[in-house]
Amino acid sequence: MENRKDTAMEMRIAPAMSLMDKLNILADAAKYDVSCSSSGSSRRGDGKGIGNTVAAGLCHSFAADGRCISLLKILFTNECIFDCKYCMNRRSNDVPRASFTPDEVCELTMEFYRRNYIEGLFLSSGILYSPDYTMELICQTLYKLRTVHRFQGYIHVKAIPGADAALIQRAGFLADRMSVNLELPTAESLQKLAPNKHRKTILRPMKQIQNGIAQNRDELVLYDHAPRFCEAGQSTQMIIGATPESDYQVMAVAESLYQKFALKRVYYSAFVNVNEDKDLPALPGGPPLLREHRLYQADWLLRFYDFTVDELLTEDRPNFNMMIDPKADWAVRHLELFPVEINRADYRMLLRVPGIGVKSARRIINARRFGRLHFEDLKKIGVVLKRALYFITCNGKMMYPTKIEENYIVRNLTYQSLASRKEKQLFAADGMQYEQMSLPL
Amino acid sequence: MPEEKYLICEDSIEGVFTGIYDAYAFREGHEHLHIQIGEEENLRLFASYLYITPDLVKTRKVAETIQKRLGADTYMSICRALATEDTEKGQAVYQTVVDGITRGSGRRVLENSMNPHVDAVFRLSRCAANEIHRLMEFVRFQELEQGILYSKIGPKCNIVSFLMPHFADRLPLENFVIYDEKRDLYGVHPAGKAWYLVSGMEPAPESLQLSEQEAQYQELFTMFCQTIAIKERKNLKLQQQMLPLRFQEYMVEFVKK
Repeated sequence: MENRKDTAMEMRIAPAMSLMDKLNILADAAKYDVSCSSSGSSRRGDGKGIGNTVAAGLCHSFAADGRCISLLKILFTNECIFDCKYCMNRRSNDVPRASFTPDEVCELTMEFYRRNYIEGLFLSSGILYSPDYTMELICQTLYKLRTVHRFQGYIHVKAIPGADAALIQRAGFLADRMSVNLELPTAESLQKLAPNKHRKTILRPMKQIQNGIAQNRDELVLYDHAPRFCEAGQSTQMIIGATPESDYQVMAVAESLYQKFALKRVYYSAFVNVNEDKDLPALPGGPPLLREHRLYQADWLLRFYDFTVDELLTEDRPNFNMMIDPKADWAVRHLELFPVEINRADYRMLLRVPGIGVKSARRIINARRFGRLHFEDLKKIGVVLKRALYFITCNGKMMYPTKIEENYIVRNLTYQSLASRKEKQLFAADGMQYEQMSLPL
Repeated sequence: MPEEKYLICEDSIEGVFTGIYDAYAFREGHEHLHIQIGEEENLRLFASYLYITPDLVKTRKVAETIQKRLGADTYMSICRALATEDTEKGQAVYQTVVDGITRGSGRRVLENSMNPHVDAVFRLSRCAANEIHRLMEFVRFQELEQGILYSKIGPKCNIVSFLMPHFADRLPLENFVIYDEKRDLYGVHPAGKAWYLVSGMEPAPESLQLSEQEAQYQELFTMFCQTIAIKERKNLKLQQQMLPLRFQEYMVEFVKK
């Protein structure tokens, strides 16, 4: 290891840098990772340490961009031997560099956690010297947290692509969730923008973690106290808008990740141009936030609404409609299935009605046991009637006389969605207009 | 025509449960009985008002019956509904219990959203549950000189007793206190022991002596929250929608120094 000599130099520099400076650099470097979820694990404290986990996850604060702050999201180091074109910390960038020690990460995690600032730790890293060297440091940190500090809160850790399988395995037994970022939807894009990363070195640890989880499940059936391996599953993320893939390609990749790798969650990250590289698109309108939002909505349709990608998009129609959400878009193109009768439709069909979500569909099914439902009951149940009214009947009647015709409904729904406060807040805030959002294709 | 009876109950789980016990004890049906919390300002003619004194034995009997007949989840929902400040909550809970027990909807009673009283309990309970969830997230402890963790909150609902089990499980080896300044109520957890509630104490002095390191960690976290935001995505309205101002005023990362 030629670089080992540098460690000595680093030791001389490190004490000069305060914990404040390090945290500033290494939180800033971690902020483009979307995932901050602390859900999926449910674990009570054992009374001898500190911490527990809550199945639904907890968001302890919200940053100025409106994103949740649940975990102490940091890089272990932003030193990196790789040169990925989209990344602020690429080798060829001249940015301030810093590295934590395992003890510093433990101190921050413990002191933040006992003040209820955070739900746990999200530890990612640039690649210092080699993937194995970096993964080893990460494992040491987690081991200290779990054993010396008896920390029982949530830990999300990155598997460093290319690290030894034994190290990944060790990390999996210390963490609640692991993730390997796919980064870009296709192998060609990855080769172009991340020349040091390979599809294979990303998918290999992903497969390993999947197998680890499956095997652990079998062990837990036999032996209740078997150590847990990634109890909260694994996730990944893709950068959207840095490369020319269509929504259809992106969603098809996501779907196969859910099916073949049993992922808990795929995240979509609107590309933020930090490097001005010639291989990257200029984004005069800012990051493609609305496109990211449509992908996010469609992702929920895959996971909770029993939709498949081929129902939502096709080769001929490869991108989502920016003006209406993917479910409404699907519904207006399948008017032959509507209106559905609220007092008879099954759960799966109720879920497909715009304005009815998972909770309200469940409540409709439950409330029907007590008698026939009317429109005012639906309102109480939480159905968004101004969206649903084109698609439902209650006791054979529609809420208002309305045309069941695609253009008419789209016009009404678009009018609402433009007017809808939520989407305005998400996308028209701070001077951003729909028209300004150029979507790189 | 039978006379309308109003049972005036104290604003507590004990008060309302005792009222329910007494209402059942009349054995004259439930249509003309009403449970009301606190004094009525406009007294009705042709109605009688009875003052109910909370009774622990009656409370326990009602609590056990609700748990047995309506299930533990419904029982918790009812307790949460009673933690709200709603003036009609007593009547809503009473009629929900009647619907569940007398009309036989049992453990599914809260699914009957067509009954307006049941719907009210469902909504109130959800309202309290949301605030409990949010405060599990937004409570901020400050470390005092003696190493005690101290947090001040000002919730809409009376929920300290719902927060304590969560934090007692999470921080079993810490001495901590959660102080509800609106109700002058303290939840106290001594390290390694069971938690308890204290009320009627002197309100905490405004300037509690903080530990030596406290300022440093507050500063570190405040900086972290600012750094983690992506400036290209800045959206203060969304931030405020997710984290309303009434919580922000108690949180270190938002307090202007």
